[in-house]
Amino acid sequence: MIKEKISSQEIIDLIASKASVSKRASEEFLKVMIATIEEALLKGEIVKIKNFGTFKLLWNEPRKSVNIQSGEEIILAGYYKVGFTPDVVLKLQVNEPFAHLEPVELDITSTLNDPVEEIDEIPLDPLRIFTEQAFEIRNLISEIQGLSPSKKVNPLSEESISEEAIDGIVQIEQDFTNQIIEKELIPIEEKELKLVEEQEYKQIEEQEPEQEEEKIVVPSDNKDDSPREIQYLKDVVSIPAENVNHEEDFELPVTPYLNNVTLPKKKRKVWILGIVVLILIAGLGTGFFYTYPPVTEYTKVALADCRYSLNKISDNVSFSGIIHTVSGWFTPNAKQETIPETVVIPKETNDFDSINQNQPVDSLQELFDNPRVFNDFIATEKFKSGNRLTIMSKRYYGAKEYWVYIYEANKDQITNPDDIAVGTIIKIPKLDSRLIDPANPRCLKKAIELHDIYIK
Amino acid sequence: MNNKELIASMAAKMNAPKSVIEILLETTVTTCTELLVEEKTIGFQSFGNFEVRKKEERLSVHPSTQIRTLIPPKLVVNFKQSNILKDKLKDMPHHD
Repeated sequence: MIKEKISSQEIIDLIASKASVSKRASEEFLKVMIATIEEALLKGEIVKIKNFGTFKLLWNEPRKSVNIQSGEEIILAGYYKVGFTPDVVLKLQVNEPFAHLEPVELDITSTLNDPVEEIDEIPLDPLRIFTEQAFEIRNLISEIQGLSPSKKVNPLSEESISEEAIDGIVQIEQDFTNQIIEKELIPIEEKELKLVEEQEYKQIEEQEPEQEEEKIVVPSDNKDDSPREIQYLKDVVSIPAENVNHEEDFELPVTPYLNNVTLPKKKRKVWILGIVVLILIAGLGTGFFYTYPPVTEYTKVALADCRYSLNKISDNVSFSGIIHTVSGWFTPNAKQETIPETVVIPKETNDFDSINQNQPVDSLQELFDNPRVFNDFIATEKFKSGNRLTIMSKRYYGAKEYWVYIYEANKDQITNPDDIAVGTIIKIPKLDSRLIDPANPRCLKKAIELHDIYIK
Repeated sequence: MNNKELIASMAAKMNAPKSVIEILLETTVTTCTELLVEEKTIGFQSFGNFEVRKKEERLSVHPSTQIRTLIPPKLVVNFKQSNILKDKLKDMPHHD
């Protein structure tokens, strides 16, 4: 089975077109996704992705092996490997082609041959029956072909025909042969005829073969008359010989063959009838569906419902908004990396601010989700030994949880927030007052969330 | 690390809102699922390959009741880590 392989680049393109984001954005997203999963795995964590599956490290035990060259025993070190367990959703979708199959409990008493047969039958049932039938038909044909020429050859040798064939005729159609013999014998020898007639009437069954033998002997003696008689005999013989062939030898094999042929025809007729009836019913149903008023009303309502729900979905999933935000998030990010200190605030954030004032509830979430841009600073401080970011946060913002924002603003200076070099210049950013409201539990929650991400 | 935590940490890394990451992750998952349903192999550079494998039907015997059951064939998703990832994991000490 040749499987088409999709490379990372193709996946990136596909995601970009589906989520209607730029290829750069989807590439970055995938990179970060894989990096994040890898990181978490290297820490020994389990990574779960909704509707996809679970990544987990599996330990492979060290095992003994033998060096092929020297024959020495070596121990292969144990190692971790990434195991992936597909989610139920993914599992079911992938297994769709075989979803209809269910485990079958086999009979305990059945012999060993049974399961083999059942295994064959399950996937190849119709095919197997078809090939079996084909074999039967072929065998029959070959039998017919093998038998018929041998019978046809017989009439050529005169004596053997007349003996064999006439024997056969006698056994089947006694009256018929009697008449023939009578007719044949009359012109040849009147005396013999009389004898024959007498014998016939007296001992019908037993004498008949004898008469024929006599009759055969006669033409060989009288050569003048023989051609005519032989000709006649041949005609008579050849016809019944064929009859014999068909009726006697072929009666047994032919009938099953005929049955096989006729059965599907009957079935086909039933099928055609069934299909016609189905079409009629379908026609009636559609007519009823379109004309009957309650049904049409119901369908209208259902359609309207469908449209409404579709609109709703499209509203939720409209990607145009996402494109804006995503492009907004990716471009300033890149700028931040290059010129971290002199960041120009994009106009979009100003737009968000105006929206924020109008809708106070959502604005906070917006504030949390948007990346923070630090361009104004309240103060700068030199990091002293024993000092901590949390202490600074408490001093400037009123709660120690908000240290994360100081860290975010000084990410370029600080590699590890738990271990800051003495003498580092720490800039204290000016933050939106709503973001660092010490009384708002949502702000605190957000800060703690960020804390969990930074301190793992 | 569950789905939420993954999204949170990715959002922090990319400096992007969680909602966007969530939608992107969802599209990634659906795209991958569609490709796998078509029995295509997906290769993520430096991470590994996802492929669909067919498990043949088999006969299983219940050890205690001796009931034999025919398990039908099925298609399963298989993940094979790349060599790069394998090398990274090699140095990890065993802790359990």
